[in-house]
Amino acid sequence: MNTKKIVIVALLVGLGIVLHIVENMLALSFVIPGAKLGLANISNLLGLLLFGFLAGLEILLLRIFLGSILAGTFMTVNFYLSLSGGILGYIIMALLFYYFKDKFSIIGVSIGGSVFHNVGQVLTAFLIISNAAIFYYLPYLMLLALPTGIGIGLVVLLTLKYLPHELKGVEI
Amino acid sequence: MEIINGYLSRYDKLLILIIVILSMIMIVYPFIDAYFKNDINQRAQIYIQDSSNKITKIKISDTYQPEPIIIEVEGPIGISIIEAHQGRVRLKEAPVKDPAKICEKTGWISKSGPSIICVPNRISIWIENSDSEIDAVSW
Repeated sequence: MNTKKIVIVALLVGLGIVLHIVENMLALSFVIPGAKLGLANISNLLGLLLFGFLAGLEILLLRIFLGSILAGTFMTVNFYLSLSGGILGYIIMALLFYYFKDKFSIIGVSIGGSVFHNVGQVLTAFLIISNAAIFYYLPYLMLLALPTGIGIGLVVLLTLKYLPHELKGVEI
Repeated sequence: MEIINGYLSRYDKLLILIIVILSMIMIVYPFIDAYFKNDINQRAQIYIQDSSNKITKIKISDTYQPEPIIIEVEGPIGISIIEAHQGRVRLKEAPVKDPAKICEKTGWISKSGPSIICVPNRISIWIENSDSEIDAVSW
């Protein structure tokens, strides 16, 4: 089981890196400057649901570091934005999943994650540029996070249905 | 739509509703705020803050001239060109190395409220109605 878990976590990291790079090509900048789909969140949300908190965090961090090295944005502003947003969004998703499991479905967990991803990014951008005017962006980003969060939640929900039983390992 | 509806729990819908209402309030609030303290524009100033936190101020009344005022600001990734003309200001040209050029796409601003922000080059441009002590942090 242990080897199997390592292999699947590695596959999820690979999936996340590919989605991270594809997502950079599909920026929604024409709707709202700086908006993104959040496709790469599929991999760490899957990791959280399949193997628990630590595995998901591992996937998230590896995905952001390797993805930004491959995309050439390592240690730039983009990297710090996606790192802070990713970590805050992931913590919120884990909290919603573990403590409000009976109340929120996976879609609700994903919505919380994507909204707080944007909150984390705007906070970091505020720390970098130290001008509170950037908070004007936040409500627009939050509104756009709703459809993307619902979409990502649906993708994860439907993916879980089609995974074979022996892959699920831990109870879901 | 019905398929999505089937997957959502009651608390999911509540969460969506709260987020929509919260962001609507955050969108509308600055406009209401600006409407009530809108003593136009004579003392308004354009503020340009660069990466070393140095702030350059330009009086709006100085921009009503046939020639636009051009300012070049140097940041970590190059020189940004800022243009102020006829009571408006924009970031005319972002450096070549700026990946998304979001600040350039923001276009002209002419009121206090919206602002031009260039995260890669650490430049922000905004307009304030007077030189009082109340700054951007207050709202």
